[in-house]
Amino acid sequence: MSSDVRFTDFKSDKQPTWCPGCGDFGTMNGMMKALANTGNDPDNTFVVAGIGCSGKIGTYMHSYALHGVHGRALPVGTGVKMARPDIEVMVAGGDGDGYSIGAGHFVHAVRRNVDMTYCVMDNRIYGLTKGQASPTSRSDFETSTTPEGPKQPPVNPLALALASGASFIAQSFSSDAMRHAEIVQEAIEHDGFGFVNIFSPCVTFNDVDTYDYFRDNLVDLQEDEDHDPNDYEAAKEVILDSDKEYQGVMYQNENSVPYHEQHGVTEDMSEIPDGAPEDAMDLVREFY
Amino acid sequence: MAEDLNWAVGGEAGDGIDSTGKIFAQALARAGRHVFTSKDFASRIRGGYTAYKIRTSVDKVQSVVDRLDILVALTQRTIDENLDELHEGSAIIYDGERSWEAEIPDEMTAVDVPLKSLAEEAGGAIMRNIVALGAACEITGFDVEYLDEALEKRFGGKGSKIVENNKEAARAGQEYVQENYDLDHLGYNIDTTDNDYVLLNGNEAVGMGALAAGCRFYAGYPITPATSIMEYLTERIEDYGGHVVQAEDELSAINMSLGAARAGARSMTATSGAGIDLMTETFGLVATSETPLVIADVQRSGPSTGMPTKQEQGDLNMALYGGHGEVPRFVVAPTSITECFWKTVEAFNLAEKYQTPVFLVSDLAMSVTEQTFPPEAFDMDEVEIDRGKLVDEDEVDEWLDAQGHFRAHAVTEDGVSPRAIPGTTDAAHMSTGLEHDELGRRTEEEDERVHQVDKRYRKVETARNEEDWDYREFGDSDADNLVISWGSNEGALVEALDYLEADGIDVRVISVPYIFPRPDLTEEIEAADQTIVVENNATGQFADVIEHDVLTRVKRINKYTGVRFKADELADDITEKLTEEVPA
Ligand SMILES: Cc1ncc(C[n+]2csc(CCOP(=O)(O)OP(=O)(O)O)c2C)c(N)n1
Ligand code: SF4
Repeated sequence: MSSDVRFTDFKSDKQPTWCPGCGDFGTMNGMMKALANTGNDPDNTFVVAGIGCSGKIGTYMHSYALHGVHGRALPVGTGVKMARPDIEVMVAGGDGDGYSIGAGHFVHAVRRNVDMTYCVMDNRIYGLTKGQASPTSRSDFETSTTPEGPKQPPVNPLALALASGASFIAQSFSSDAMRHAEIVQEAIEHDGFGFVNIFSPCVTFNDVDTYDYFRDNLVDLQEDEDHDPNDYEAAKEVILDSDKEYQGVMYQNENSVPYHEQHGVTEDMSEIPDGAPEDAMDLVREFY
Repeated sequence: MAEDLNWAVGGEAGDGIDSTGKIFAQALARAGRHVFTSKDFASRIRGGYTAYKIRTSVDKVQSVVDRLDILVALTQRTIDENLDELHEGSAIIYDGERSWEAEIPDEMTAVDVPLKSLAEEAGGAIMRNIVALGAACEITGFDVEYLDEALEKRFGGKGSKIVENNKEAARAGQEYVQENYDLDHLGYNIDTTDNDYVLLNGNEAVGMGALAAGCRFYAGYPITPATSIMEYLTERIEDYGGHVVQAEDELSAINMSLGAARAGARSMTATSGAGIDLMTETFGLVATSETPLVIADVQRSGPSTGMPTKQEQGDLNMALYGGHGEVPRFVVAPTSITECFWKTVEAFNLAEKYQTPVFLVSDLAMSVTEQTFPPEAFDMDEVEIDRGKLVDEDEVDEWLDAQGHFRAHAVTEDGVSPRAIPGTTDAAHMSTGLEHDELGRRTEEEDERVHQVDKRYRKVETARNEEDWDYREFGDSDADNLVISWGSNEGALVEALDYLEADGIDVRVISVPYIFPRPDLTEEIEAADQTIVVENNATGQFADVIEHDVLTRVKRINKYTGVRFKADELADDITEKLTEEVPA
């Protein structure tokens, strides 16, 4: 089946309720293309979504999916992948979902290096709750809960990932459709935790980090011949550069071994015997 | 009742109290004697009083009593803490060469053994506890060869030299007492039998039940007293193709387990107290997404961090009502260590049959207590697996709507929908914690909402009719006095019956392993003159639900000192309660 899968097979027939012009449309299309391009089909794909405008993505895509509670999508993805190493797992959510309420899980999913792809739709605002500051909002960005700006520096999710031992760090822009899909595809193909921070503008509540802003300021690492994603120091440099916005694969560890392989998990855990396992009495005898 | 012996070892945490006790318990089990252990421990690693107590008899023992016959005291505090349980015939083994001068009441037998120097002679001071065990064997006339067997089991993996040294240390203790005291076994007669018992605690039984039931994924975050379930599974689950993840917190643990369950694995998490609170948000998601998941709560004293190493049954309301909104759940509470095994197996079946979270509520006392059983008590041939309405490729068609979408939350007569796991062709679907339609898609449509809520609760009705929500019964079924209990109190209650009978008081005991759904006890309560509900909490949470069910006031015995009920004490409490006026 997989050879003739088209990206539209990943589309559900539910009409998105995102605001017209929301960056999440482009983000989703790119993710679907990347899934199709990597030979996946809806029946072997599991999408876990967080809560927020971004989290609605699971509803608009067609695959096995769970739309969970706020901030906890990564642990769900981890559970799915551990139980079923044969299934492609994609986790999606917003910057609030991933870097605020779910920040702890982010750090640990990164360091575990579970073989899944994490797409964060970063609009630098809380969309669904109607325009409050998010962890990636600029320190002077005025919102309903921060009338004078958050007055604290934004989280740098790429740096957080790097510091947590990430094996794949990338950033893309939802409106640059082809590059975005390519970058997500690389994340899927990566053996381990493929993390992509996606600039996905909120046209309703964020008038600072707009399409125009990203178009004007985005530097594509692909065009920088000197950038070698396998070079940790080079990755560090672009990730910590707060003067520019980059897209592309910042960092990839070529020696990455995903969590389930490190732990020798290969079996499909859904298969269990009809009764207790053959040698189960040994479990009892152990207590003699 | 055959003669029983109550033995304890106590000292500072870090003194190896636990392993000393366990070795002796194993030796007794080897000798075909029944054993029931209990532990006193403080919430610290080094320092702080800790004790391991053993009650042993050739008959089944299932409770602690207020009596201590032999005490191995490594500190004065061990003696002080147990003074009210020691009696004239008690013997206290201590090391007079150490820097403390033991204050032992005159009427007791003080057995001063140079534990440390004898251990050093045998190969190392660390074995002073083994010297004490040898001394204990001599005092009670227990054949030291059984101790040898336990030492082989314990240290066999570390090489024969270590085993030999330990045996020598035990002999040194035995001989020292022989040569220096004339105790004539203090009149004890440690009978042995041919039985081969297994010795295990409640958490081990839960872990074993999980493996037998096909649990393949477990995620947890360490917390007393639940952690030993995780430790048990960590060591064994990989032999069955499974895996344990130590998550970063309980929020993560339950979400990981949920993910694995949706992927088709039998999955479980366990925690206690504060951890259950953290899991509560996701608990609602588990229920509305209709994911089969077993969540074990090994209760300890709350609220907040409460008394983390102490017994309580204070989480029943949480298990019944915890979470925002209204969600169906099953609450199963094993009443004994064997039940910890069987109810765990049942919890997995219930979870999959009804696609509902199951709370497996146990408690600290049960989790750390080691008890002997004939191995047949855990007969694996009796384990049955029921995966419910798990559909395969061929059955998917039946559940597609006109557009070819899989109806994962189909509204059915019995409330149970078909379940397809990832990889099943044409059954891809999504589930959400949002209210949803049959396809799992968000809806706020009034009728859909009502259909889904009704559907989820209908599962409970179906289960009520299809499963046995039975109780266990002890004592005199015609007695006018009815005592109801849940959780680990059963053992103490059953033994209390002997004391009550001796006083001419007839009691019918009902021990309830199902909290929700639970058996209807109306008839039983109406047939009785008096009903008492016994539980380890201050407010009587189970008594509340019983009163609510039966619309009758019941009497209550509540203990919330942090210590489990003792059989003799419970008998006194019941006697006293029976004379109290019935509440209006
Ligand atoms: C525990 C909890 N707290 C708060 C909320 C309310 N809430 C829903 S979405 C959201 C923020 C979403 O922001 P973000 O992740 O940036 O996603 P966006 O809507 O911008 O795509 C919050 C706070 C919730 N659902 N759950
Ligand atoms: S509020 Fe912002 S993020 Fe949400 S749908 Fe509208 S544009 Fe997109």
